[in-house]
Formats: sequence, C-alpha cells, structure tokens
Amino acid sequence: MTRHVLSMVLRNVPGALARVVVLFSSRGVDVESLSLDPTERGDVSRMDVVVGLPAGRSPDQLVKQLSRLVDVKSVVAVADSARNQIGA
Amino acid sequence: MDTVTGASSLVRALEDAGCEVIFGIPGGTILPAYDPLLDSVNIRHVLVRHEQGAGHAASGYAQATGRVGVCVATSGPGATNLVTPLADAYMDSVPIVAITGQVNRSMIGTDAFQEADIRSISLPITKHAFQVTEPEDIPAVIAEAFALAAGGRPGPVLVDIPKDVLAATTTYTPAPPVPTPRVTPAANEIRRAAGLIASSRRPVFYVGGGVVRAGAAAELRALAERTGIPVVTTLMARGAFPDSHRQHLGMPGMHGTVPAVAALQQSDLLIALGTRFDDRVTGVLKLFAPNAAVIHADIDPAEISKNRKADVPIIGDCRDVLVSLNAAVRQAPVLTSWWAYLDGLRDRFPLGYDWPDDGTLSPQHVIERIGTLVGPEAIYTAGVGQHQMWAAQFIGYERPGSFINSGGLGTMGFAVPAAMGAQCGVPDRAVWAIDGDGCFQMTNQELVTCALEGIPIKVAVINNGNLGMVRQWQNLFYRGRYSNTGLSTHDRVPDFVALAEALGCVGLRCAEKSEVDDVIMRAMEVRDRPVVIDFVVGEDAQVWPMVAAGTGNDEIMTVRGIKPLFDEDL
Repeated sequence: MTRHVLSMVLRNVPGALARVVVLFSSRGVDVESLSLDPTERGDVSRMDVVVGLPAGRSPDQLVKQLSRLVDVKSVVAVADSARNQIGA
Repeated sequence: MDTVTGASSLVRALEDAGCEVIFGIPGGTILPAYDPLLDSVNIRHVLVRHEQGAGHAASGYAQATGRVGVCVATSGPGATNLVTPLADAYMDSVPIVAITGQVNRSMIGTDAFQEADIRSISLPITKHAFQVTEPEDIPAVIAEAFALAAGGRPGPVLVDIPKDVLAATTTYTPAPPVPTPRVTPAANEIRRAAGLIASSRRPVFYVGGGVVRAGAAAELRALAERTGIPVVTTLMARGAFPDSHRQHLGMPGMHGTVPAVAALQQSDLLIALGTRFDDRVTGVLKLFAPNAAVIHADIDPAEISKNRKADVPIIGDCRDVLVSLNAAVRQAPVLTSWWAYLDGLRDRFPLGYDWPDDGTLSPQHVIERIGTLVGPEAIYTAGVGQHQMWAAQFIGYERPGSFINSGGLGTMGFAVPAAMGAQCGVPDRAVWAIDGDGCFQMTNQELVTCALEGIPIKVAVINNGNLGMVRQWQNLFYRGRYSNTGLSTHDRVPDFVALAEALGCVGLRCAEKSEVDDVIMRAMEVRDRPVVIDFVVGEDAQVWPMVAAGTGNDEIMTVRGIKPLFDEDL
C-alpha cells in the first residue's frame, strides 16, 4: 500500500462530497484521512485527502477519474516528497 | 419570460433541448409533469409497462439516432427501476437523461411514501445527477443535463425533481446554449502515431464503440484504405467498419474470430480507437498482445493507460483523431507478409457451426438467415448470452449503429425495449430484436407498449429451452452439471406464440430448417403489429470460438480442446 495526497477543489453543491467518496469506494481506494474546508470564494471548497493505493498503482488514474466528476473543479496528486516536507 | 408552473417549464425545456419522444410511466410525484405533457405537440410520450423498459428504450433510441434519449419515472420504486438501465448506459457510454419525480422538498429525508434517495443510489452509475430545488432552475438544469449526457464521453444523467417544485409557479426563461468544450488531439502525439504507423510491420486497428459514438466510420474507412491496415471491431463497434470489407477480420475477444484475435496477439502496433481494453477483449491482460506498441485514442483521459499502458496517448474525439491521422500519415506500411499470415488464418479458421446431431434446428443458421433476408439497412438489437454472440458473429453489419446491444453491463432483457426505442427513432427502418428465451421473459411486457403505440418491431426468440450461455459454461467448466439452467420453454411454458398473441402481437413458430426463410418473410410482411417468432432450436449448440475466462488469448479454442494458436507454430 502506498500513500498519496490529493488536493482538490469542489463545487459547493449538495452531493459533491458523496460523489467523490463513492468514487473512492467503487474504485477500491483506501481513505486514510479527509478534510474539507471552505474557501474565501463561497462557491467552492477545498478538500485534501490522503489515500492508500495498492503497491504499483499510480495515482494518475484516480486523478483522471476524479477529474471526470462535474463537481470537481480541480484535482492534483501532491508529490510524496512535498508531503514529507509538509509533515516535517 | 412567461409565468408557468415548474411542470410546464420542464416540458418547454425538454422541447427546447430537442426532445421528441419520452418513454415513461406516471405516478404520484411526477404527476404534475404529465399534465402539460398532454398538450405538447413536439413531444410524443410512449407509455411503457415497466420503468426498466423506459430506460432501455431511451438507450435504444439514443443509439439508433445519435440523439439524447429521455425516460421518465416517478419517485421511489419508479426511480429505482431505472437503476439497471442507468448502469447499462453508463457502461456503454449512451447519452440518456432520466427524469424522476421526488417527494416534496419538505418531506425529503422523512421516509415519506414512495421516497427513495435516487440521486445517491445513482452516484456510481451516472455521469452526473441533479436534484432541482428551485423551480426557476429547471430550464438551465435540463439544458445542462442534455449537454452533459451528449458531451465528451456520453453517458446517463439523472434529474430528480420534487413534486412541489413541479407544482410551483415560476417563470420560463430559455436557457442559454451550454458550451461543450472539444479537445483538439495533440499535434505531437499525432505525429508520433503517424511515424509508428509508417514503420510498423504488423499493425491492426482495434476499433471500439467510441468510433460509433463519434460518427467516425467514414474517417476510419479512409485511413484503413490508405494504409491497408487490418481492422477488428469489438462488440460495441460492430458496423463501424463494413463486415464485407476485405480488410475486416471480424470481432476480437472471448468469442471473436481466430484471425481477429491472432491479429491483436501477433501485432507490433495496436491502433486502439475509442476502446477500453475490456477483459472480454484482452483475456488475461499480461498475456495480451505482448509485442505490440500501443497508440490509444479516446475522448476520456481516464481510459488511457487504465488497463494497458499507451505508448502514444491521444485524447480526443475519434473523428477528430482520425481526421488528424489521415492528414499526418503520408506513408503506408509494407504489410505483405502480415496479410499473408492473416489471410492464411482466414482461410483455415472461418466462422462456422455444425448442425446439431439430434436433428434440431441450428440457432446460428436462424440468425444467419435473418441477417441475410432482412439485410444491412435494418437495425438489430440483442439481449445477453449465446444469441447475442451469434448475432454479433453471423449477421453482416455494414453501418455504424446497426447493432445495438448491452456490451459492458451485460443486461439480460435489453433487446425488446431497446428495439422499441430504436424503432421510435427510426420508424422507416426494420428493427429486429434477436432475443433468447431467458432474456425474453424478463422484459416482454413492452410488446404491449409496441402493440398499442404502433411500434412494429420483430422479435426472434432463439428458444433453446435454457439459459444457454450459463449452460455452456456448466458444460465446459462444471462437468455438465446443469444446475438451474433449464427453462421449460420447449415444453411450451410459456407458449411464446400464445403469449405473443396475448400481448397484441402476431405469434409465429418455427422448428424446421425448411421453414426458416418462410417464417422470416412472413414476419417481414407484417407492418401494423409487432411480430414474435418462436424459433425452437437445439439446446446443445455452443458459441465458438472461445477464449475461456482466466486464460490468455493465445489459448483461443475453435471448438472444445482445439487451440490453433497455442498448439501450432503458425
């Protein structure tokens, strides 16, 4: 299992969070932590998720699948090294 | 800006979106919408007998016409009955919009009568789902739903509308056009693809349903003919390239032709167009086309490198990609020895079938004769199972969209309602549902709809008395222990001819080879009612060739135990 950090911007509409979480569930993604925060713009929220993927599975596919969701405005996989720096 | 009810706003928004037919059933919460529908001159409402039929009909309509199909159901059980067609349309990328009634806004979340949280239920099986909470939002939501369903990779979109939103007074303002962005295929990837094509020695076009959805058959044919490269068409792409064309090797996959499967396995370059390397095509993935470089063009970036890493990824609509490739490919590869190999396989392993030893009618013969007598201008639909595979193998398809079936989800019962929807979209074409006796018993209630609404589809029930494909697997993999696959339909329970007559159709039966052509011709002469033909066929016919689940494509069997690619050094 490898850990990856996803940083996303979601539309502030009912059901947006559910759609993201169901995608994790349908695609067999382990969620380690999840935080959702308002932004200065009222119409979007920021979401940070730490996910676990089976060894050898890159987060690229997951990023592309999340990008398909209408309510996901942007999604990036933050590099592990960057996360380590944040953690340090 | 006119003062209207939410329901009138809905109907006008549907008219503005170009909707001409709705398949649906009214009920408590959707009732307000049915009142203005009565006055609509642009929209025909087809009153189905089960919501599942409405959903598959919308899909059949969409696949036959290229337009967005629309189905309507009430809240609760009406909405949950749409789950299977939504999942089906999601897997096969079919643009449909499903409109469901919902309980009043104040009642949502109270376990009210006929309340179901259909928006949540549909999360993993729709492109998007809306719940309209303000009546003035209706026109914009409908416009966006249609644009989402049809745009990019097509798919189903749900619009859930509470009853009090439909009943409320609001204003109607036509929605502005919704922009649908179109990605231009990257020029550098097109150049790399053209270079690989020119230098390849064993290339093959691996064509999927995306070519049909993109309307790119003409562009595919142009590039195929300029380069001389062989073509295989998947189950979802039958008709995207003419079956009569010399360069066409047929369908690849679990029940594909030996030349089509071998072309992929031996290839040094797969040009994959609008296809997703599904397990039914690849067999065991790590054994699939081991020496091939991969050019993968798809409108959905999430499909590229999902199952097989693409050496040249091209994101774009297949028509745009093929136009660009046609302009970029200047040199055709030299394929003399490749074609010599493939033609050799074609000669040695043509598609075929044996007549049953017990003197019963051959199901493959029946389907082949339907294809020959009815011809390539018709539309054919299929359910799921043996009859579906034989319909894919033994009918010659010459036009994209002429074969409509449930590929991804594998939904038994798809054929009859899909044929109904297709016939509504293209009333001037003959529409034949090739169905099985198992599938037919799941959705035949829609023949009542067809009979009453003047939708004269033809249904060929390939009645082998069993859940045939399951029985075939029991024969091959469970030592012939036939657990719960017998359906007693050879004992006339039900009697399909009598059932057809009871449903308002013409019922015919045929069990003899000498009568097959006559009964098909008799069915073709009926134009005022649906026709059901009970073709009583042998129960032991099997679908060959076959790549058994869990094996590699090299182990394709032409009949049980005979593996030409595996056993011989070709």
